[in-house]
Amino acid sequence: MIKLQHISKEYPLDGESFLALHDVSLEIKKGEYTAILGPSGSGKSTLMHIMGLLDLPSKGKILIDDIDVSTYSDDQLSIARNEFIGFVFQQFNLINKLTILENVLLPTIYAKRTLSFDPKDRAFKLLKDFGLESKIRSFPNKISGGQQQRVAIARALIMNPKLVLADEPTGNLDSKTGDAIMDLLEKLNKEEKATVIIITHEKDIADRTKRKIQIRDGEIVKE
Amino acid sequence: MTYFLFILRSAFEDFYRNKLRTLLTSLGILIGVSSVVLLISLGLGLKAYIKQQFDSLGTNLIYVMPGNITGGGGMRSSATGIKFDQKDVQTLKRIRNISAILPIVVKMTKIQSNTESGSYEIAASTADLFGVMNVDIEYGKAFEKSDVDKGSKVVVLGPKIAEKLFGTAEMAVGKIVKIEGQGYKVKGVAKSKGGGGLGMPSVDEHVYMPHTATISFNPDKKFYTLYIKADSEETIPEIKLEAKKLLAKRYTNEDDFSVVEQTEILNTINSIFSILNLVLVAIAAISLIVGGVGIMNIMFVSVIERIREIGIRRAIGARKIDILWQFLAEAVLLSGIGGAMGLMLSFLVVLALRTQFPAYIDLPTVLIALGVSSGVGVLFGVLPAKQAADLSPIEAIRYE
Repeated sequence: MIKLQHISKEYPLDGESFLALHDVSLEIKKGEYTAILGPSGSGKSTLMHIMGLLDLPSKGKILIDDIDVSTYSDDQLSIARNEFIGFVFQQFNLINKLTILENVLLPTIYAKRTLSFDPKDRAFKLLKDFGLESKIRSFPNKISGGQQQRVAIARALIMNPKLVLADEPTGNLDSKTGDAIMDLLEKLNKEEKATVIIITHEKDIADRTKRKIQIRDGEIVKE
Repeated sequence: MTYFLFILRSAFEDFYRNKLRTLLTSLGILIGVSSVVLLISLGLGLKAYIKQQFDSLGTNLIYVMPGNITGGGGMRSSATGIKFDQKDVQTLKRIRNISAILPIVVKMTKIQSNTESGSYEIAASTADLFGVMNVDIEYGKAFEKSDVDKGSKVVVLGPKIAEKLFGTAEMAVGKIVKIEGQGYKVKGVAKSKGGGGLGMPSVDEHVYMPHTATISFNPDKKFYTLYIKADSEETIPEIKLEAKKLLAKRYTNEDDFSVVEQTEILNTINSIFSILNLVLVAIAAISLIVGGVGIMNIMFVSVIERIREIGIRRAIGARKIDILWQFLAEAVLLSGIGGAMGLMLSFLVVLALRTQFPAYIDLPTVLIALGVSSGVGVLFGVLPAKQAADLSPIEAIRYE
């Protein structure tokens, strides 16, 4: 479903060039539950940005359903992110001035195609499934971290994305709440057949997935 | 549609959250718009006032004045020295289709009763004055032909003067006023015609008397202006030509005198005031630019405050143009709110002014005010909005 072919990414850093990823190739198939594991500075965030179409590689190709998106314009990338990718961040990244419901609905506002579902119905259903039905009118800063992350997951799922990218989804949560979030992601993969990639530096988290890709110094060292 | 509603709603919610900031930012535009609108409405009022004053002087009037009034763009010096006399009046009487000729002596001077005094304008002429200039009498009587023939020292007071000097208009009749050291009997008091206010003269403050009674301040019996009343509007051009021809025999220099109709004078005065008004409005418009800079400043601050939000929106699919629209809409709304409040303020001020002066706000002014204030929003909002749109999603989302 998503293929990275010989991806390299260079950044200018203090006047010199820094190689964050070096010749990375991998394929994620539909319905997979994968972890990308690596210490900080290993290039896993860069890899996530490229897989999430937030950034383009310096070299190599990204194929989504065999369509090369590495030549996409900024607008095309935005639309592709909107339609294909659901992000879950360590910092939750909800917009505090919008209600829970509005946060979940936000991707549908930017949708360029006519949606095949009713956005509000779907948002209500997701929030109900995640036990947040009583909070839909609340604001993010009025609910707990675990609840905020569940809102973020609902937002990631509202557009029925091909891929859910979770960047250290439990990093800001205590272990019990973190476990609950991992259970939720696991359930999504198992029951909803969502393709989920978890980027983490914690081996325990990675151990819960079906496939582990280890990255170090910008290269895949172990699969 | 949902998209634009969403953008507008989030902008309004943002303003609601930052009420004080919104108010202060809009203040610049508020001041700019209200000063521009007020100046325009004062200009409109001034035009209306002048028109009203001219209309109250009577219709189908032709003025014979010294100097070149309309030639060479605007009112050139009328002080060419010539003054008209009884001979000119007799000459002009030969013209056909005229119903009256008024020789006019005007003078601004002090007028006293026993207890009060004030400076007012005297208009001295024949008894035809009342008919030609539509001056009706409220109390007492108008002076008559016999008063003019005898040079009777009688006056008809405008109602405002009568009230000022004698308490009530009615009380003035039969009393004596002192003008230039001479006593004049108040024969009548004119009906009010309104106008004036804000220190501007009104026809209600005129003093009318026979021109033959002005010897003390007009010893050589000269007239400053001659009014010719035409029988009908159609005959005006012909009468003007004839009057010019007749007077040119005596006054050979073409700049010596002018024969003009009311609309020409009105147009000349209006064009002068329009230019003056335009200059004032242009100066006031500078405050709109200052207001615009204020909006730009606050929008730049707003972009910095919301970098992370912009990053989140970009990550979940907002295009650059979506972010641009969002910030531009906020800037336009911000200045539009200022414009609307400025307009409301000007409405209130104009409403208060109207008791004194016929200022008014017309629809084009309202549309211009709202259009210009929104335009200022676009002009000064586009740079911050572009800055927001051009942020890299990755850097924006990582921003602490």
